[in-house]
Amino acid sequence: MTDTTAPEYADATRMGATGEAIIELEHVDKFFGDFQALKDVTLKVARQEVVVVCGPSGSGKSTLIRCINRLEHHDRGLIVVDGVELSEDIRNIQVVRRETGMVFQSFNLFPHLKVIDNITLAPRQVRRMSRKDAEAQAMELLRRVQIPEQAEKFPGQLSGGQQQRVAIARALAMRPKVMLFDEPTSALDPEMIGEVLDVMKELAREGMTMMVVTHEMGFAREVADRVMFMADGEVVEVGDAAHFFTNPHEERTKLFLSQIL
Amino acid sequence: MTDERGAVAWMRRNLFANRRDTVLTIIAGIVVGFVAYRALRFVFVTGRWTIIRDNLSLFMVGRYPRDELWRLALAVMAIGFAGGAVAGVVARRRADAGQVDERNAWERGRDVVLRTWPVLVVVLLLLLLANTITPWLVALGVLVAIVLGRLLGRALGRRAGLVLVAVAAAVPVVLLPALAAPLGWDEWGGLMLTMFIAVVAMVACFPLGVLLALGRRSSLPALRALSISFVEFFRGVPLVVLVLMSTTALGFFFPQDLLPGRIVRVTVAFTIFTAAYVAEIVRGGLQSVPRGQTEAAQALGLGPWRVTTFIVLPQALRNVIPALVGQFISLFKDTTLVFVIGILDLLSVAENVTTQPDFRGQALLPETFVFAAMLFWVGAYTMSRESQRLEARLGVGQR
Repeated sequence: MTDTTAPEYADATRMGATGEAIIELEHVDKFFGDFQALKDVTLKVARQEVVVVCGPSGSGKSTLIRCINRLEHHDRGLIVVDGVELSEDIRNIQVVRRETGMVFQSFNLFPHLKVIDNITLAPRQVRRMSRKDAEAQAMELLRRVQIPEQAEKFPGQLSGGQQQRVAIARALAMRPKVMLFDEPTSALDPEMIGEVLDVMKELAREGMTMMVVTHEMGFAREVADRVMFMADGEVVEVGDAAHFFTNPHEERTKLFLSQIL
Repeated sequence: MTDERGAVAWMRRNLFANRRDTVLTIIAGIVVGFVAYRALRFVFVTGRWTIIRDNLSLFMVGRYPRDELWRLALAVMAIGFAGGAVAGVVARRRADAGQVDERNAWERGRDVVLRTWPVLVVVLLLLLLANTITPWLVALGVLVAIVLGRLLGRALGRRAGLVLVAVAAAVPVVLLPALAAPLGWDEWGGLMLTMFIAVVAMVACFPLGVLLALGRRSSLPALRALSISFVEFFRGVPLVVLVLMSTTALGFFFPQDLLPGRIVRVTVAFTIFTAAYVAEIVRGGLQSVPRGQTEAAQALGLGPWRVTTFIVLPQALRNVIPALVGQFISLFKDTTLVFVIGILDLLSVAENVTTQPDFRGQALLPETFVFAAMLFWVGAYTMSRESQRLEARLGVGQR
């Protein structure tokens, strides 16, 4: 079915975990003006699978996961999330976004709302939850990310690590089926990276489907089912974590790994 | 003794540190002292304030029939009651949210006085100028109405929406017709008219301006074009032209019978003009909200309207409070332009009374203009102060 000329190790359609696809991309191209950000990306992610995406800056990693909840639109190819195809149809986009949580590099918490209101806004407005239920759920999530005592504060009063954990709780409050992480620890001071990664590891253990753009190779080694290396908008190499780090095939992968490890 | 030594030391350090400072201090002292002396002499010695005292009601309410003034008194009390109710709701909600007011009664009273002193001083001055007891009774009535409103607001705290809707609906539906009944709109005048035009235009131009700002960013080309041309047209025309057009030129385009009275028309002119400016201010605010905010809200599944109302607009408006209030203060003062179409607003009254038989030829314009200027200043300064409070409350620049 897939491009037979591609070497086996660059085939991103062989899933791990449950083997049942929840995210499917076929031959996706994306342009910013004349610049091609994604080149013929084909990929499948299984339910409960954790896929780490790495690669040099400008390689299209962020663009890739931003296409999955259509913060960017793709120009060619097919993207299906949990059986819903992403197109111009605004209703489909809304369905996919409801089922997909996203965590940003710069947190993007809503600075004018208290932590608890950051978390309850979407469940109340989109899921039509009652205030009481939404707040109970929010407190439960804040306990999960270890900061229930910060509920009544404003985001600006929290440390970076705490803010990112609130952002994770905010995304989880919609009970998404997939979580997308766009360099969640890149904007953090080193001593705060651990607390955020711990929350993400816990999430992975509970069986959340995750796509994580990150340079934290320790995290990838420990948690990822597969690691995907991108360069110049292309999928260069995909493999299970152990294999990827010990025995990369491509020269570009080797070079990248030698630079960051 | 120590205090005086402290003061002397302070002066020596800050005013007379060296020869140049000493010279500057003396020159500045002479200038300031001279101006202050002349101003105080004018207010307390040479100023002939009888003209204000004799025409006080003309300054306040224009030609409103004296037998019908009870309507105004009731209206002011109703507004006080409504304001008190809103304040009560706010206080209750804050108390419910667990924000404890730690001030005692004395401190609270002091804060209210510090907050409203310009208004209090002017009201007291007006009461002292009045020759009768009635204004004192009205003032007392307003005070009672505010307190009662506040108590009601606190009691109804949980039904805040109900209170706000009732207040918002009562003013246009009940109050305005009741006020206009004895005297058509077009005969209104004085401070009352100035306040009417300013408040109505402020309340009306704000939502219009926000809609225009959103329209200008819309993805629908027709809506965008409409918003842009509205803003660019009305911003490009001098306000005084719009004021003149509202009375004279509209009659050429539309049948006179279909048009509302000229005060309504001129209020619409102020609304439209200010809305064009508000639209640009709000658009600037919308652009100041980072893209990441929209993206985060979209990623949570919020639709375009909810992204705007819950995430972008609140942050945008918070960022532009100073500019918005500046625009409103401009509007308040620009209402004086209605003199060009012969409407007797506060400033026109100040000019007209000097031609009365009793006062003609006495060059009393300084007195009447200073009086009018004081009323405008108090209004503008109060707006400015309240906006600073609002900014502090919303934590602008802090979080």
